[in-house]
Amino acid sequence: MAKSAKSTASEGTRDLVMIKGIRNGLVFVLADDAPFTDVLTELEDKLQGSHQQLLSGSTLSAYIEKGSRDLSEDEEKALRHVFASQGELIVSGLDGPPPFKDWRPKDPYVYKGTLRSGQLIEHDGDVVVIGDVNPGAHIISSGDVFVMGRLRGSAHAGASGNVMAVVAAAYFEPLQVRIAGVLRRSPETYTQAAEMEFAYLEGDQMAVEKMSVLAQHRMRTRSSHAVI
Amino acid sequence: MGEAIVVTSGKGGVGKTTSSANIGTALALLGKKVCLVDTDIGLRNLDVVMGLENRIIFDIVDVASGSCRLEQALIKDKRFDQLLLLPAAQTKDKLALSVDAMQTIIRNLKTQFDYIVIDCPAGIEHGFRVAITGADQAIVVTTPEQAAVRDADRVIGLLEGVKLPPAKLIINRIRPHMVKNGDMLDIDDIVGILSLDLLGIVPDDEHVIRAANQGEPTVLRPDSRASLAYRNIARRILGDSVPLMNLDEEAGFFKRMRKLIGLR
Repeated sequence: MAKSAKSTASEGTRDLVMIKGIRNGLVFVLADDAPFTDVLTELEDKLQGSHQQLLSGSTLSAYIEKGSRDLSEDEEKALRHVFASQGELIVSGLDGPPPFKDWRPKDPYVYKGTLRSGQLIEHDGDVVVIGDVNPGAHIISSGDVFVMGRLRGSAHAGASGNVMAVVAAAYFEPLQVRIAGVLRRSPETYTQAAEMEFAYLEGDQMAVEKMSVLAQHRMRTRSSHAVI
Repeated sequence: MGEAIVVTSGKGGVGKTTSSANIGTALALLGKKVCLVDTDIGLRNLDVVMGLENRIIFDIVDVASGSCRLEQALIKDKRFDQLLLLPAAQTKDKLALSVDAMQTIIRNLKTQFDYIVIDCPAGIEHGFRVAITGADQAIVVTTPEQAAVRDADRVIGLLEGVKLPPAKLIINRIRPHMVKNGDMLDIDDIVGILSLDLLGIVPDDEHVIRAANQGEPTVLRPDSRASLAYRNIARRILGDSVPLMNLDEEAGFFKRMRKLIGLR
């Protein structure tokens, strides 16, 4: 969540430029109803003067929230010039911070019983089935799919595009597995005795591994898809 | 412009799906471009009988609702390039497919295929009305049982209500020895009750069950009698005049040899 880093009003007067810290940079909120030159002066003061200590260090993304103000070309140029002269800030956008992505884990859906042909579980989050999933049954999950029984139906993990999602089952014999946008259908017959396995994405290829490898897979993908 | 044939029966379990799969495959064997359409929303089977269940991505309801193009939902058969399947939806309700949407789909398919074989759901409710809409011809499947014949009669009456040419009859699962003993309805009795043209008779054959479980239509097995029966039916659909199968020939090779040398 965005946490307010520094924005104290001095002597009761309102700040014309408010600075907020977010996960991946700073947001500069420009007051809507003040003359542009005043805003620019205050911004300059803050960047060069009072807040210089705070801002020095590694480079940061700066998101400018110009509000309802229409910036002319010259004004925009002036604004960018102020940031450029500061050196550590890179202007990444003029329309506020990027839309916030919620990375909090969602509640899993736990289904106890046999999921039969024609039945469908669609859930935003992980899906856990304590029982079998028969041919013709369908699970669609934005997270992982875990089946504590036979998976013989179809399962779609990471349905909203999460390529790290996996489909796992105690008896892994699905008709179809989809992870994000990658689809794999069953071989014509399952020759080996099914055991506890999970399917995951290796690039744009789907792979199936023994369950014991899941933890390693998670470690590997987590480090390569690290989010600050 | 292709021809749409609906396969229906009223009663369940008399072999609509098996007949659809085999007639479609037999027509493809004879070089026609065929599309099989499963309209049994919620209880689809045609994909299983054809062994194509694991290839389904989009289905007829997706096409009807516009979530995908018709071409995206068509599944090419493993054996014939000329044979395609439009699968039914499994997780949706019968009402998800409307008469209007079905008409549009069939009209569209008729521009691309020689024959469209429509597998109708059991019953005479909404699903039935959707399945027969857009069809140019109907095939009624029945078995030599009172209940099946009664239901077939009901369906034929309903089909006469819509402007379709008289339906054709397939009598499925005939056991010649039971007919001979009078334990099963005679072919002539059935035709007499239903007064339809007979398109074919199919003997009861274990191959059919085995083949359906393996996801391979029976017509592809040259040694099965049911296979021959369905190939004859396909030829009759194309306009050939093929004599009805002689059911007494049931006896196998050895019995026939014995007959020849007078051992009976």
